[in-house]
Amino acid sequence: MQCLSCFTQIIRPWCWYCEREFEDEKVLMQHQKAKHFKCNMCPRRLNTAGGLAVHIQQVHKLEPDNLPRIDNALPGRDGYEVEIFGMEGIPAPDVADYKRRKEIELGLSAGSISQPPAKRPKVENRPLTEGELKAQLEAHKALMGAHDTSSSSAPATDGSTGGVYGAGPQTYAAPPAPSPMPPPSGMSPPLGMPPGGPPFFPGGPPPPGAFPGQPPFPPFPGGMPGFPPGPPPPGFPMPPGFPPLGMIPPGGVPFPPPSMRPPFPPPLLPPPHVSSPFPPPIMAGSPPQSSASPNPHPNSTSLNQPPNSLSMSSQPPAAPLPTPVQGQLVLPNPALRQTLPELKKKTALKYDDANFSPDEKRGRSSRYYVTAGQDLTVPPADEPRGTKRARAEDFL
Amino acid sequence: MSDQIELSSPPFDSVSQVRFSPTNPNHLLVAAWDTTVRFYDVAANEQKAKFDHRAAVLTTCFSDTNHAYSGCLDASVRELNLETEKIQHVGQHNDAISCMNYSSESNAVITGSWDRTLRFWDHRSASPQQLSHDLPERVYHMDLTKNTLVVAMASRMFHIYDIRKMDMPAQQRESSLKFMTRSLACMVDGQGYATASTEGRIAVEYFDPSPEAQEKKYAFKCHRQTIEDVDHVWPVNALAFHPIYNTFASAGSDGTVSIWDHKLKKRLRQYQKYKAAIPSVAFNCDGTRLAVGVSYTWDDGEEGLKNAERPAVFVRKVGDEVKPKG
Repeated sequence: MQCLSCFTQIIRPWCWYCEREFEDEKVLMQHQKAKHFKCNMCPRRLNTAGGLAVHIQQVHKLEPDNLPRIDNALPGRDGYEVEIFGMEGIPAPDVADYKRRKEIELGLSAGSISQPPAKRPKVENRPLTEGELKAQLEAHKALMGAHDTSSSSAPATDGSTGGVYGAGPQTYAAPPAPSPMPPPSGMSPPLGMPPGGPPFFPGGPPPPGAFPGQPPFPPFPGGMPGFPPGPPPPGFPMPPGFPPLGMIPPGGVPFPPPSMRPPFPPPLLPPPHVSSPFPPPIMAGSPPQSSASPNPHPNSTSLNQPPNSLSMSSQPPAAPLPTPVQGQLVLPNPALRQTLPELKKKTALKYDDANFSPDEKRGRSSRYYVTAGQDLTVPPADEPRGTKRARAEDFL
Repeated sequence: MSDQIELSSPPFDSVSQVRFSPTNPNHLLVAAWDTTVRFYDVAANEQKAKFDHRAAVLTTCFSDTNHAYSGCLDASVRELNLETEKIQHVGQHNDAISCMNYSSESNAVITGSWDRTLRFWDHRSASPQQLSHDLPERVYHMDLTKNTLVVAMASRMFHIYDIRKMDMPAQQRESSLKFMTRSLACMVDGQGYATASTEGRIAVEYFDPSPEAQEKKYAFKCHRQTIEDVDHVWPVNALAFHPIYNTFASAGSDGTVSIWDHKLKKRLRQYQKYKAAIPSVAFNCDGTRLAVGVSYTWDDGEEGLKNAERPAVFVRKVGDEVKPKG
């Protein structure tokens, strides 16, 4: 058990800014140049944070108090105060902290990395007393017993250590707590992942709820073009206008006359010309007349009619200018509708409506909306006072 | 920080526009979503007057030293008397008034509205509305340099007018930027204008329609940041030209203000980031100060208001950073 080698194996060179580990210090320095000391405004890469700061101030004329934060750095490590060069310059508390976290991650007992590894051999070399041996045997048996329940998976994991590399640390059964042995070197838990998962950066794309009027998923297509004729497969809702399986409306309307039988007549159905003993089917969600009067496009009537009539009533066709309505944004000239162009790079666009400005949305929201021009006779200063005060307090 | 002051009585809700007096370098108007227009003396850091409205005020401008106008979400144009604090109703659009300018040449207030019209007003007349000009789209922004009026509309449309001949636009253009126009400002030398979009980009364009002049137009990216290989792109909410040096300031939802020399195509300065988005910036008439409104700009809708910072108005003394180099 070479503790020194185990030490170097586990604690590889790591980057103070993002806590990533590297094969050797040379790779680490390349990483730092590319990820942390790269200038945002030109292709230049610098060797240290200080070099980057001087470069930005002198070449790009930014004030010293206005330097951009170090890119890709963990929170609190994005400043220029600490001069890092590879593994050099890392503040001692951060080194200790990192080692402690590594121990926890690797399931090592506290101090096995962070403290000088001198004491353990002493304990191990001491001859054990009989009582101790017994206790250890019991503990071992108990452990084996505990393992038996999950033995089906445990040996497999041990056998193919490489295969599970990258799985979360919880995949490995927590090593027996009192074990002073470090895990076999092949079985190293994922090292690149700091505890707590990847860092979260605020200011990501807004949640889908931020775009009113745009449902997160497209509505279920009314026509269901992919479906073969006949009732939909089990598990799909019955489109309105279709009778439930095994039932048929009087007169056998949806089926062609018996001379033109469908190629595969549904089994268990009475012949169409026989009047059905069942009462007319009651279909939820569809108007009763749809079963009585056949319609070539039952979906278009039962589903699209209400929205059509709604839009007709809210937007008189004669008026070229839609009157502003609370919560509703109507394009006055739909022919000029804009679409967002494609972006080549991965981009987080902070405002992504191509047709309505943020101010328009704000003005139509319930918080701010007023009907236009109601106060032509009322002196404008008097009436709104109460509402205005309430709003100001609301905001504070 | 000695080079900027924060106004001590800012609006309670987001700033919609900051605007300096064309004659007094210390007089500042601030229109806001808290339904007020506030009138400040920035040298004394003192609020001299406050005008309550029926609804949020989207735009305001001075007409002379004692008078100003306001354009409101309730579609009304009002005249504000800065001495007596009296409000007088001047006229009415059919939808919110998004922008206004005062033309000293023609003594008229020009308003642009989401009702797709431009209107000219003279409050001294018995019927104040002098003219209404129909447009194909909602008016978002407008700026005036001498007699040239640039109107930026929704759907990325631009009209350029000679305000003495309002029957026809002198030029009709499509924005050279692919995203929604978010701000507009005319050069003080009357040669052209700068415009910016919701996608962190500014275009510099020239009025002269000759191919040689048009060849000089260009656009560049700004107000963006790359975080972990993802380009974060903020809208550029405001542009303002310096009245003497003809450089310009840009401000975005990222909370930064930059000064640009559009002739040399160089950034002269980026000021320290503010805590929230910047809806509006303005230089004063002698070019010694820059007013910066800082508040939430509704980029994330009502949701974003929960985490919004308290609105603030800063007035920054500007120095040599606004002078073109060389």
